Amino acid sequence: MRRLTWQAVVAGVGGQGVLFVTRVLAGAAARTSGRVLVSEVHGMAQRGGAVVSHLKAGPFAAPLVSPGRAECVLALEPGEAVRNLAFLAPGAALVVDAPGPEFLSPRARRVLARRGVRTLFHDATTLAREAGAPRGANLALVAAAAREGMLPFSPAELWRAVEAVTPPARLEANRRLWQAALA
Amino acid sequence: MGNEAIGRGLVEAGVQVMTAYPGTPSSEILPAVVRFGREVDPPPYCEWSVNEKVAVEVALSAAYTGKRTACAMKQVGLNVALDPVMSAAYIGVVGGFIIVSADDPGPHSSQTEQDSRLLAHFAKLPVFDPDSPAHARDLVAEAFRLSERFATPVILRPSLRVCHARQNLRLRKPRVLERPARFVRDPFRWAAIPKMRLALHQALNRRLEAIARHLGRSKRLNLWHAPLPPRGKARLGILASGIAAALARDVLAELGLPVEGGRIPFLQVAVPYPLPQGPVEELLAGCQRILVLEETEPVLELLAPERHKLWGRLSGHVPSAGELTPERLAAVLERALGEARLKVPRPRAKPISVPDQAPLRRPNLCPGCAHRMVFYALRRLFPDGIYPSDIGCYTLGLNQGAVDTCHDMGAAVNFAAALSRAYQMDGVERPVVATIGDSTFYHSGTTGLINAVYNGARFVLVILDNETTSMTGMQPTPESGLTADGHPGRAVDLMALIRGCGVEQVEEVDPYDLAGLFKALRRARRYAAKPEGSVAVVVARHACVAQRPREAIPRPVRVEVCGYAPATAPRFDPRAHACADCGRCVEICPAEALRRVRKGRIRVDATACTGCRLCVEVCPTGTLVLEPAGACVDCGLCRSWFNCPALVSSPEGGVAVDQKWCAGCGLCVEICLHGAIREAGQEVRA
Repeated sequence: MRRLTWQAVVAGVGGQGVLFVTRVLAGAAARTSGRVLVSEVHGMAQRGGAVVSHLKAGPFAAPLVSPGRAECVLALEPGEAVRNLAFLAPGAALVVDAPGPEFLSPRARRVLARRGVRTLFHDATTLAREAGAPRGANLALVAAAAREGMLPFSPAELWRAVEAVTPPARLEANRRLWQAALA
Repeated sequence: MGNEAIGRGLVEAGVQVMTAYPGTPSSEILPAVVRFGREVDPPPYCEWSVNEKVAVEVALSAAYTGKRTACAMKQVGLNVALDPVMSAAYIGVVGGFIIVSADDPGPHSSQTEQDSRLLAHFAKLPVFDPDSPAHARDLVAEAFRLSERFATPVILRPSLRVCHARQNLRLRKPRVLERPARFVRDPFRWAAIPKMRLALHQALNRRLEAIARHLGRSKRLNLWHAPLPPRGKARLGILASGIAAALARDVLAELGLPVEGGRIPFLQVAVPYPLPQGPVEELLAGCQRILVLEETEPVLELLAPERHKLWGRLSGHVPSAGELTPERLAAVLERALGEARLKVPRPRAKPISVPDQAPLRRPNLCPGCAHRMVFYALRRLFPDGIYPSDIGCYTLGLNQGAVDTCHDMGAAVNFAAALSRAYQMDGVERPVVATIGDSTFYHSGTTGLINAVYNGARFVLVILDNETTSMTGMQPTPESGLTADGHPGRAVDLMALIRGCGVEQVEEVDPYDLAGLFKALRRARRYAAKPEGSVAVVVARHACVAQRPREAIPRPVRVEVCGYAPATAPRFDPRAHACADCGRCVEICPAEALRRVRKGRIRVDATACTGCRLCVEVCPTGTLVLEPAGACVDCGLCRSWFNCPALVSSPEGGVAVDQKWCAGCGLCVEICLHGAIREAGQEVRA
């Protein structure tokens, strides 16, 4: 087991599958670190509001990430990426479901570059729709992030975690989408 | 998940009776007991109670027979249950009894930020404050032990960040308790009259002192994360409990002062009340100053001796409202360390700050939700109405301007009775139309309805019946007849219940049938407006679109906006049709563009008019004239009164249908008065 210490923030809006992504990352982290704490949001926020979850792998006591401490912010929607930029640590990874960085102001892009933030803007929504799985944008974004080395897990480690949290009836569809998104 | 860990802990400790009323952040505890309880034979009896008071009374009295019992609720639910809780401290239990009351600092999904530990103190019950899911699971076993040793109910208070945290746990084998029911008749205890209560109170005080001494000796419940210095006094020590203790440990490590380093003595108490005197006094004696970290109210701070040495909420060192997030906690710690003249090895770096603004997002009813149609109808039919509402998904009727009050479970009924009467006392018949969900109606609506009927109140009550408790995760209601653990239940007939409360005018309607809904609401209003009338109830019943989408929308349709046109104001044409001077057009205009200049004369302010055609629709004489444009004129009516998340801004300057969100209910077709939204022709899915 690697002694992984990793903090991440997953953001989106209700219905996009933030909790699913968090469970995948938590599953992968549990296998490589052993100690994982996750904080979720439930209740009224799930009715179309902003949803964010925090993940901490390693010797932590509490599930909330401090500003400036997340090694990865993964956003299923550009607006929610903007809302959670303050969590990024210097040199962290920013992964957003967006065709490009245009949703960020030039100033924001300069600030991110100065802090050494590695960015991945990937139109996972379009990819998932074209793959016939419009609700699978969240999974497609995780696959792209894994492929680009934005996560401390290999695609194989992540797929094992996806398998563990996917209901059996959706497994085949998720496998096809995963492979399409990795390619 | 923390709530599942609590459920696991209850099953592992051999819980035999479990009751709950759902409420964020507590809702997943009872389902976890049902799920894990299947490992035990026989499994624990579990029920979704109708409200929290019922839940406490059922679990409490089951503990009189020697069984281990528990109940779960959110913190405001404890308010509902406070009556039996207060008395329970005096009378005590035989089998262990835990009340789980989940707090919501923030608040994220509650009316208040109240701290259940203060209510525990008020009720004189020991309270456990876990810092993580694993800790919560372990404290359940401790709580049962304490409960049985001292024959007292105990409270377990997890806060939201414990309830909704996830962590891996190694499962332990559930205990199977051989506890046949044995109720020992003892009326002097179980039915104590006030005279005997004095002696019980004195015994309770002695018991609390004994519990405090007992707790003070526990190493597990009083954790020294960092010890006192061997000689002399530390400049600063920390006294903490619950989630604040866990956060403080992480934040101290980030500031370069990991608790393992031992620079700052750190005592975490698992039971803030009754305060474990010994360890707390030891901490006070070994430190010049103590920073008290706890969520949400100053409980340790009020209970600890030598308050002049404490820094916390009372001294202004800790913010007195809002959640203690890592960011706020870091500021608190930096200030305290600075005032204690201690160096912060790694002060916080400034986090990324950009001028970009994240979009404002308001929670909204789901696309296809039938409640949305009811709120639209209220705006249409009762433009001068007052709309008391209640607690549930439908509070989001706020977005449609059809919710005026939201207070506590069941308040809508009583608020409607009082608000309508306040006007009727002055001889004014102002429409008061209350909305309440079915689960909330069973919880606390019936008593208000009986009271309103009995006392001659006159108003319209709409029960939004989606046959489930949606907001908290689709728990069944009495009407469904489904029970929490599958034991045989019996469906309660809602219409019979309403009639049984003394209501004579009641009808059921499907809000997807807009014409039928309008008729039912008009009939209800006519009945309630008559001096000899009473409360009129409309049950608006439709399946919850989030729970049963196929039942809610059997044939989804694809809707589209068929074009865009400039808005024009209606013409007031009294020569063709004389104005009846009814005032409806002025009353309903959302833009306040109409003004009555004299009898039978209305002036239309074309600059203010949005061209929505509402005035044309309500004009009984046809004096106001504006043909439907057959295209979107960007009047904004659908957005403000219907407010479906699938109706978004179009680049052409009107609305467009966002197919990603659209549920295909087709209701927007009916509410657009310009015929701009229409079915695209064929069905999307058969």
